Amino acid sequence: MAAAVALNVTWIIFHWRQVVPLVLGIILFGVLIAGMVVNTIFLVREIRRNEQQDSFLNAITHELKTPIASIRLYLETLDSRPLEEAKRREFYRIMLEDTDRLLGTVEQVLKASQVRQGSSRQNWQEVDFGAVVRDALGLARVRQHLSDEAMAFGSEPSDGITVLGNAEELRTAVFNLFDNAIKYSGEKKKIVVDLLAPNIDTVSLRVCDHGVGIDRKELKRIFKRFYRAPNPMSGDVKGTGLGLFIVRSIARRHGGDAYAESEGEGRGSTFTMRLPRIYRA
Amino acid sequence: MSKILIVEDEAHLAEGLRFNFEAEGHAVQTTDRGEDALARLLKNKENFDALVLDVMLPGKDGFAVARELREARNFIPLLMLTARGRPEDVLKGFESGADDYLPKPFNLAILIARVESLLRRKDWTHSTNSATADRTAPDTASPDIFKFDDKIVDFRNLQLRAGNQTFQLTLMESDLLRYLIKNAGHPVSRKAILQDVWNLNEDTDTRAIDNFIVRLRRYIEPKPSKPRYLMTVRGLGYQFEAKPKD
Repeated sequence: MAAAVALNVTWIIFHWRQVVPLVLGIILFGVLIAGMVVNTIFLVREIRRNEQQDSFLNAITHELKTPIASIRLYLETLDSRPLEEAKRREFYRIMLEDTDRLLGTVEQVLKASQVRQGSSRQNWQEVDFGAVVRDALGLARVRQHLSDEAMAFGSEPSDGITVLGNAEELRTAVFNLFDNAIKYSGEKKKIVVDLLAPNIDTVSLRVCDHGVGIDRKELKRIFKRFYRAPNPMSGDVKGTGLGLFIVRSIARRHGGDAYAESEGEGRGSTFTMRLPRIYRA
Repeated sequence: MSKILIVEDEAHLAEGLRFNFEAEGHAVQTTDRGEDALARLLKNKENFDALVLDVMLPGKDGFAVARELREARNFIPLLMLTARGRPEDVLKGFESGADDYLPKPFNLAILIARVESLLRRKDWTHSTNSATADRTAPDTASPDIFKFDDKIVDFRNLQLRAGNQTFQLTLMESDLLRYLIKNAGHPVSRKAILQDVWNLNEDTDTRAIDNFIVRLRRYIEPKPSKPRYLMTVRGLGYQFEAKPKD
């Protein structure tokens, strides 16, 4: 063995004029290949980012212009046609609903921009997270006209589940999770909400729906900004691709995280938001 | 009374449109799916006088619906109504076979006027078709008729006859051909076409025009790959020649 190595080294020393260019060539070739691979990775990332931004632009254009178009249509109708009182009231109601939708989209965009701007701990306080979840569930039921069976607690959350954070942001995150479950539940909604405290320093909000489900490959991507999973079963669902991004960003700002589980398309999904809990014995 | 089909997945907009077109004296039906509109128009052969079509629909989008209708030789007057109002989207709409395109949010009076205009055009086509059938030969003295070689373009009926074949043109194909014929013997730039035919600004991607030209060549050229009437002027645009030099 030692003799073979010695022979090789001797051969290299005697033939260094051939060996040096060969070694340099191999290194250069390796660098070139590595460069091409890195370049391709960046290119693919850039293409994906552009696609997501295009899809966001289309979605936001639709989400902003559609309610405006509807409000304008009804205003012009009210202005130009003689209408019975009942019809006028119906049109006012429709316009109010469109205004709410518009406001919701604007708030989503503002919130998404806010949560990206670092982790300021201004306005942080002890928040009764159980109360936040209960209020959000009640509000979601009223806004979406859902029965108690369509959206309910699996088990009633216990008192004293407190977290440290911004109450407004936490409300937004919880409401976004509920809104997401409602939107992707299809016609027959059955959403189960559980607020658990698996240990003394963690609180976990689980929202389980029986809706369109998510392809396993998409489970991480759906939390990315602007990303909307391509699911043929959710073709009717409109959105900006910001809701879950906001949930995860808020959860992370509060020292927690958010993730999704699903058995696949058509088999429902479970979204979980974990937060650090303030525990007092 | 005309029958209008509205394809719009936003319930509020669909109901508002239905209310207004009914108030104008039309019979209106609505659907929220492009597939349903295709089934009613192509499979069930339901008779409608105009189609108001949203682009961003669940399932098949409005562009695909328009394209399938035209490929199936259904030339129902079609107005696209959509939140996507960028010039590229407008061109894509025309390219897929729309006769008119209105971005949201729209002015109600303008929408009604545009649909009424499409309905009037359909009425003209219908009445002129009946008259033409009676006369058998088109009135080539009319400004809406242009004859070159064995071809006759009937702009009022949106028809092009080449030999024994008759092609139905979309409104946009007809407008482009009319513009090229008006400028016969002179090259016209793609930018001029965008501005003068489609009212679009010159920053728009001009490739859509090339697709329209390909379609027109299929109608009028014996060998579309070696055009004689509708020639490319390299680096500029296109030129129509009514009497090509052999």
